[in-house]
Amino acid sequence: MNFNTTYREKSVKLLIYAILTVFVIFTVAPLVFMITASFMPSKEIVKMPYRWIPSTLHWPNFFKAIAGNDMRYMFPRNILNSLIVSGAVTVTTVIMACMTGYGLAKFKFRGRTVIFLMIMATMMIPFEAIMIPLYLVTTKIGLQNSYGGLIIPFMVNAFGVFMMRQYLITFPDEFIEAARIDGMGEMRIFWSIIFPNSVPTIATLSILAFRAQWDNLLWPLLVVQSEKMKTIPLYIVKFTAEKHSDEGAMMAVALLASIPMFILFFALSEYFIGGSAVFSSRKG
Amino acid sequence: MIKKKTTGKIDRKLARWGILFVAPAIAFFSVFSFYPIWMAFYTSLFKKNLLSLKKPDFVGFKNYIYLFGSTDFWNSVEATFVFALGTFLPLLIISLMLAAFIMNISKARRFFQMAYYTPAVISSVVSAAIWLLIFDPRGLGNQWVNAIMNTPGIDHRWLANSITVRISTMVVYFWKYIGYFVIIFISGLANIPRSMYEAAEIDGASGWKVFWKITFPLLRPTVVLVSIMSMLQCLKTFSTQYLFTQSGAPQAPINVITLNIYNTGIRDFRIGRASAMSIILFSIMLFFTWLQFKTSRSDDVNY
Repeated sequence: MNFNTTYREKSVKLLIYAILTVFVIFTVAPLVFMITASFMPSKEIVKMPYRWIPSTLHWPNFFKAIAGNDMRYMFPRNILNSLIVSGAVTVTTVIMACMTGYGLAKFKFRGRTVIFLMIMATMMIPFEAIMIPLYLVTTKIGLQNSYGGLIIPFMVNAFGVFMMRQYLITFPDEFIEAARIDGMGEMRIFWSIIFPNSVPTIATLSILAFRAQWDNLLWPLLVVQSEKMKTIPLYIVKFTAEKHSDEGAMMAVALLASIPMFILFFALSEYFIGGSAVFSSRKG
Repeated sequence: MIKKKTTGKIDRKLARWGILFVAPAIAFFSVFSFYPIWMAFYTSLFKKNLLSLKKPDFVGFKNYIYLFGSTDFWNSVEATFVFALGTFLPLLIISLMLAAFIMNISKARRFFQMAYYTPAVISSVVSAAIWLLIFDPRGLGNQWVNAIMNTPGIDHRWLANSITVRISTMVVYFWKYIGYFVIIFISGLANIPRSMYEAAEIDGASGWKVFWKITFPLLRPTVVLVSIMSMLQCLKTFSTQYLFTQSGAPQAPINVITLNIYNTGIRDFRIGRASAMSIILFSIMLFFTWLQFKTSRSDDVNY
C-alpha cells in the first residue's frame, strides 16, 4: 500500500458518499417539503427561494384539510372508509392466501398443479383490463357505492397465494403428522399450528395488501358515487383539483393521509422492505 | 393388506381437505379474474353503450379496427411506451448504481436504504400532489433546476408543454419507485458469494473490472427480472397522469392507455371500445410476461 492508492481509495469513497447523499436529498426533500409546507400559509410556500422552516405554525391549513371546501367534514369519514376497506382486504387476503397456500403445499389431490398454475396465471391479468366488466358485474348485483363493492374484488390475490405456498412448502411435515396422531382436526391444525407459525410471511403479505388498497385510486373512482363512501385517494384528488391554489391546505391533506403509512413504516420497516422485492399484482 | 386400505382411506380424506382449503380461492379467481377477462373480450366484440338499454349490436372486430385506425389510440400507445421506457431505463441504471455503491460502503447502509425507500411508503396520489406543487412555476422544481444549470429566473413550464409534462410524470414515478429497485438489487448483490470477489482480488482486478466481469453477469437474471417487472408496472400507470390532468395539465401527451380506457368507458360510456383497449393492453402485458418467463428460464443463476 503506498500513499497514492490509499489517497485514491479515500477519494473514491468520498465521491460515493457524495453521490449517495445527493440522491438522499432528491428522495427526502419532497417529503420535507410536504411537511413544512403544510404549516405555511400559501403566500409563504410560493415565495422564492423556498424557506424550509415555517415562520409560524399555520394551523388553518389543517382545519381546511379536514373540513373540506364544502365544510362537510368528509375527511374523517373518508379516512375511516380507507381504514375499513384496507383493513378488511388485509384480513381476507391473509386468511384466504394462507388457506389456499396450505392446501396447495401440504395436501396431495388430483389437479393440484393445474389449480396452482391457473391461480398463478391470474397474475398476468392486469386489473386495468378487467375493471370495466368487474364494474358492470358490481353494479348489476347492487354493490356499487358500498363497502362490499370496494372490498370483495380484492379479497385475495395470486401473489399472496404464491407467497404462502412457497413458505409453507418448507414447513416441517412432522409437526402436522404429530398433530394428526394426537387427534387434532384439520381445521384446528390450520388455525393453531399453520397460521401462528406463518407470522413473518403473513406480516409481509399484510403490509402489501394494506398498502395496495390504501393507494387504490382506480377502482374506488369507478364504484363510489357519494362523498360519504369515498376513500382517501378520491378525497385528495377532489381536494387537489378544487383547491389548486391553496397549496398549504393541499399539503396538509397529503400529510394527514400519509400519517398511518408512516407509522406502519417506522414500526414495521423490515416487513415493508421484505415485501418490496415484489409487486402486488392488483394495484390501482 | 388392511394397513394399505386404511392409508388409502386417509389419503382420500386428506385429499378432500386439500380441495376444501383451496376451493374458496378457486371460486374467487373464477368470478373475479377469469370471468371478467372473458367478458372483456366478449364485450369488445359489441358496440355497447353504458347508459343505453338497447341490446348491444354485435360488430365483430370493428372496435379493434377502429382503434388501429384512430390517432387518439396511437397517441395513447405512444404516451404509454414513452412513459414506460423513459421511466424504467433511468430507474434501472440509477438504482443499480446506487445499490452497488451502498454495497461498497461500510457505514450508514441502512440509513441510505431507508432514505431511498421512504417515498414508496406514501400513496401515488399523495406523491402526485406533492410534485404538482414542486412543478408550480414558482415551485422548487424551477428553483432546483435553475440552481443546478445556473439559469436564474427561468420558468421551465413543467406542466404546460407536451415534453415537460411527460418528463414531470416520469420524475414522479422515478422518485416513488427508486427505493424499491435499490432494495431489490441489494438483495441480488448480497446473493453473490464473497469467494468470487476474493478470487478477483487475488488476481488483482480493479473495481470497474470486478463490476463488469463478475457482478454484472451474475446479476443479469435480477436485472432482467427487474426490467420486465418495472416495464409491466409502468405500462399500468394511472394515478399520476389522472391527478395531473385533473389539475389542469394538458391531457394528450400523458393520455396513457389506462387513462384512455377510463375516459372512454366511464366518462364517454363506450364500453365496447374501452373493452377492446383493455384486451390490447392485456395482450401487450402478456407478451412481456412471456418474455420474462422465457428469459428467466434460459439463464438460471449458477455460481
